[in-house]
Amino acid sequence: MLDKAVSCRTLWDFIGSETISEDQRWVLSTMHRYGQELVTMLWRILGNEQDVCDAYQDTFLQLAHYEGGRKPDYVKAYVFRVANNVAITMLRRKIAERKRLSNSTVRTIEHSPFKELDSKYLQQALRDYLAQLPEYLRNVVTLRDLAELSYADIGKILGISAGTARVYRCKAIQLLAVWMGREDLK
Amino acid sequence: MITSKIKKNISMNNISHRGNPNQCKRIRNWLYSALSRHVNPEAAWLQNHIANCPRCRKRFISHSRVNLALSFIKSQPLNLSLLRRANEQTINVLKHSLREVPKADKLRQIKPEPTLMEKWSRHIQPVGNLAACAAVLLLMKTGIFSSMDGFQTRGQKVIRQYYAKQVGEDLAEEIFPSDSIPSS
Repeated sequence: MLDKAVSCRTLWDFIGSETISEDQRWVLSTMHRYGQELVTMLWRILGNEQDVCDAYQDTFLQLAHYEGGRKPDYVKAYVFRVANNVAITMLRRKIAERKRLSNSTVRTIEHSPFKELDSKYLQQALRDYLAQLPEYLRNVVTLRDLAELSYADIGKILGISAGTARVYRCKAIQLLAVWMGREDLK
Repeated sequence: MITSKIKKNISMNNISHRGNPNQCKRIRNWLYSALSRHVNPEAAWLQNHIANCPRCRKRFISHSRVNLALSFIKSQPLNLSLLRRANEQTINVLKHSLREVPKADKLRQIKPEPTLMEKWSRHIQPVGNLAACAAVLLLMKTGIFSSMDGFQTRGQKVIRQYYAKQVGEDLAEEIFPSDSIPSS
C-alpha cells in the first residue's frame, strides 16, 4: 500500500504541475461536498480503512488530472463513477490474491450450516459476487445500496432513467441471490 | 380488482386520453399504491404461497440472504477519523499550491457531520413523546369528566328514587325537580 502511495506521488510529479490549471480549488470544494458520501461508499465496498484512503486518493488524483485539469461538467457523476471503478478494481485484486493464497495453503474455514448467519462470511461472499457483476448492474447496486443515493441521482450519474436504474437493481439482486444460493449448495 | 379501481378513479376524475404530465403522474401514483397494497412482501396471499411452494421459498431465502448481507455491510461502523485521514492522504499528494490553501487545512481537520435525517431524528422522538403525552392527557381529561358527570347524575337519580319511595313522589319532585337532573 505504501508502494501504491509512492507510485501515485511519482505519477503526480511526472505529469508536472504546469499541465494543471492554476486554480483547482474546485477539487477541494468537491472533496468537501462529496467526501463523506464517498468515504462511506468506499468503506462499504472495501471494508478496509487503508484501502478506502487509497481509493479516495486515486479518485481525486484522477479528478485533478481530468483533461489537463479541466472541471468535469457533472463532478458528482465523475467522482462517484471513478471511486466505484477504483474500489472494484481493488476488490478484484484482493479476491485474486486471496484465491491464490487459499490455493497454496490448507483451507481453514469449513462450510457449516451456521455460515449463513455469519456476518463476516456473508459480507465477504457478497463483495466477491459484487465484483463479478456486469458493470451496468454493479454500478446501480453500489450507488443505491452502498452509497444510498436516490434512483433519480443514480439515473443522472449513470446517464439512464430512474426506471431503468430500478430494473437494473432488481436484476442485480436476482443475480446475486442466485449466486449466493449456489454457494449455499456447495 | 385493481384495474376496476383504477378505471373508477379515472372515470371519476374524467381524465382524457390525451397526455397531461400531471394526470400521468396521478395515474402512476394510483397504480403504484394499488399494486403495492396487493404485491408487497407482507401480503397474506404471498406469505401463504411462499409457505407452500418450495421453489418460491428457495428464491425468497436467497433474496433474504442478499438483503441480510447488505444490511451487515451497511451496519459496519465507520471510524469517525476515516474521512479526515482520507482527506489528509489525498491533499498531501495534490499540487503544492492547493496544499497551502486554508480550505485544505479545514479538510484535514474535518469531522463527519450527521445527515439532515439524523439531525432531525433527535427531535422527532421528543416531539412524538410530547404528542403522545398530550393525547393521553386529553383522553384522561375527557374520560374523567364524562365519568364524573355520569356518576353524579346516577347518584342524584338513586337518591330521588329513595325519597320517592320513602316520602312520596310529590315531595321527591319538590326536593329533586326532574328538570334539574340531566338525563344520561
